[in-house]
Amino acid sequence: MAVHRGRGLATIEYPTGMNQGGDPSQAWIKVKPDGRVDVFSGTVDLGQGSKTVHTQIVADMVGVPHEWVTMNNADTDSSPVSFGTFASRGTFIDGNALALAAYRVRQRLLELASRLMEVDPDDLEIADGDVAVRGAPERKVGVDEVAATASWTYGEMIVGSGAWMFPHVEPDKETGECEPHAALSYASCVAEVEVDDETGEVAVTRLVQVYDVGRAINPVLVEGQIQGGALMGLGLALLEESYPYYPDIVHRGPEFGAYAVPGMADLPELRNVVLEDADPVGPFGAKAIGEMANNAQGPAIIAAIHDAVGVWVTELPAKPERVLRAMDERRQPRRDGRRVIFDDHLSVATVSPPEKRPEGGRSFPLVGAPR
Amino acid sequence: MKAVGANVLRYDGVDHVTGRSRFVDDFSLPGMLWAKALRSPLASARVLRTDTSRAEVMPGVHAVITHSDVPKNVVGHQEFWGIAADEPLLAEHEVRFVGQLIAVVAAETEAQALAAVLAIEVEFEEREPFFDVRKAWDSGQPQVTPDGNIYFYYPDQPQRQVRKGDVEAAFTAADVVVEGVYRPAAVEQAPAEPASALSVLEPNGRLTVHSTSQALYYSMEITARHLCVPVGQLKFVGGTVGGGFGGKIDTVTEPVTAVLALKARRPVKWRWTREEEMLCSSTRAPWHIEIADAVTKDGWILGRKTLTLHDAGAYMRTSAYACSKHTFHLAGAYSVPACAFNTFVVMTNHVPTAAMRGFGVTSASFAVETHMNRVAEVLGMDPWELRLKNANRVGDTSPTRVVYANPSTVTTLLAAADASGVDLPADLRAMSNGKREGALLPAHLVEQQREPKAHPLVWRDGRPAPEGSN
Repeated sequence: MAVHRGRGLATIEYPTGMNQGGDPSQAWIKVKPDGRVDVFSGTVDLGQGSKTVHTQIVADMVGVPHEWVTMNNADTDSSPVSFGTFASRGTFIDGNALALAAYRVRQRLLELASRLMEVDPDDLEIADGDVAVRGAPERKVGVDEVAATASWTYGEMIVGSGAWMFPHVEPDKETGECEPHAALSYASCVAEVEVDDETGEVAVTRLVQVYDVGRAINPVLVEGQIQGGALMGLGLALLEESYPYYPDIVHRGPEFGAYAVPGMADLPELRNVVLEDADPVGPFGAKAIGEMANNAQGPAIIAAIHDAVGVWVTELPAKPERVLRAMDERRQPRRDGRRVIFDDHLSVATVSPPEKRPEGGRSFPLVGAPR
Repeated sequence: MKAVGANVLRYDGVDHVTGRSRFVDDFSLPGMLWAKALRSPLASARVLRTDTSRAEVMPGVHAVITHSDVPKNVVGHQEFWGIAADEPLLAEHEVRFVGQLIAVVAAETEAQALAAVLAIEVEFEEREPFFDVRKAWDSGQPQVTPDGNIYFYYPDQPQRQVRKGDVEAAFTAADVVVEGVYRPAAVEQAPAEPASALSVLEPNGRLTVHSTSQALYYSMEITARHLCVPVGQLKFVGGTVGGGFGGKIDTVTEPVTAVLALKARRPVKWRWTREEEMLCSSTRAPWHIEIADAVTKDGWILGRKTLTLHDAGAYMRTSAYACSKHTFHLAGAYSVPACAFNTFVVMTNHVPTAAMRGFGVTSASFAVETHMNRVAEVLGMDPWELRLKNANRVGDTSPTRVVYANPSTVTTLLAAADASGVDLPADLRAMSNGKREGALLPAHLVEQQREPKAHPLVWRDGRPAPEGSN
């Protein structure tokens, strides 16, 4: 019995927003007479922290302290359309709608301050809740004062709305040609594992993960996505399956005790690196981190298992039984001229050879030549 | 102080960790009823008879609904994209998966509702189910839907496909063709909070629906279609949800409680048990992916052919969408000049599969990346070198002809090498995301290159894109 160590690599890309676009988000913002900013957006916060990220975007775009911003996303009577919190679109698409609404609020505040201060609006800037003359920061007036003047003197409501959408595209039927997304995020992952050759158990000891997120609006929340995603990716690679005897439906796990999700004890040492290659379209350069955070660990772990014990487990999860069986069988790829054919036993060409199909399966594209 | 880039305190963090945040199940109203459902025990059967008469007179029962109580029972989750509705909210003459809803009871307590569910009589005629996507084309297989086991994107073309470059020439020119099969499993989204809804009929006739949906407007639209009412008749309340991971896009508890609330004229709450969440709600799809790569012995990918069979389960939900997205990402983070990708949506008698984190792409990334590592093994090449050579660069084109304007595959790889202590040779270390030239621009990659164009929606100097683009 021995424990074997291995290391594996994977690199991935992931789109922001829905595939083929056409998924709008809208937002509106009002400013109270004391300068406090109320944001209305239809975005659902699933626990990933969209309320935090969105209020940060609004705070900086308007130019007020973050504590001044309130998020209202609780109902459809007051909040406008968000197509949904999915498809890694919250920071990017909802964020763009909010940034635009906030930009319009800022412009109106500048116009009103200009009237109040008798200074051209182009010579003014807003930060930290003050409107100040560029280059003469001592000449300033509070956003609260501007807002109070708007309400009580000018009788005006300060409001801004914004919407953002990547237009819908249809792929070409023959070629698939289309521009299906607004931006791509990227990641690389190095997994280190220990494989026990007696039990088949795989322990992930370390994950090195690099994510290019464009801009980390809130670094701790990005870190949270990366850590949570790492555990979820580890679950996909080693533990989880809804159908333990897939495609059969027997012995499904109806509760956490009978369905193995990773626990904190499974958390390996993490070395996370966040790169910020600003995206020209995203709010403050942000792209996305949500979904891609569980995509790279699986292939990196499978490669690490191969590095450790020399077998490829390509049916997930790589549970001990599968690892041991692969080590017992030591399947070698079949060689046929220039072709190196792995996994013959899993292929459609083996499980469902052409003679089983009507018309010899002519309408069905087998990947390689006949197996 | 700038908020962007700062670790400002999580907006609702204190409320969450002190138990003050209000989730759907924290809302209760006087006179509120509880829902419990009768679900199919069989993976495939005709429903010959459903008799709810005993259940209707059980203690505490205020309403029992079956498909005939739903104004429009069959509403699709992708009708916006022209994909026909196929799934009934409550089963009609057949059931196609274990856990499919047949009838739902609203009673004064959950125990009374459950007792009434057990009193509903259903007579089934069991059919042979179909489970293995690889046998979808075999003669004599059980048919999951009246239209067969394979979805057709177009009347004469079942698959979503990509065709780019001269694939046959690439495979003829290859030194080696590497083939492999990749099968990621179905898994649960497993959110901490199970799907729940509370529907309340307001005195003015509007319906308020407290929802765990990840997409309030989307779920409201689907609910309005089931009820055949204008969307404005509904008000969805939510926005604070205990985990979704894709599983809370499916819209089921909202229309069911709405129909019950309208029938009982009382507020109705339905909170799924962990068992329902695990066994009856959508899973991530199981996938079957075959890849053949035409490669040269010095590590260039000349072309790629793929075959994907996506296990959609018994109804479409969002599968056709996921398979398009999957297909467009089968080159991974690389430039593959010749592509022939074929992806099929296969219907089976599994629980319908739908969204989960990384929808459609998690499977592609697993297959592509594992295959890349195998190609490296077959060639006897360092997997870092194989990746860095083929990594997409400015001016390369994706399978669907997106021109990469600012890819960062090379950057993330080099940073990963640094962070994991991998000592790369100087020629690899010197690589960048920039446009290909010299040894990094072999003949087979010349034709796919394009000039990246400025994006029309760009923010400049803190100002939004020109008016009209929003």
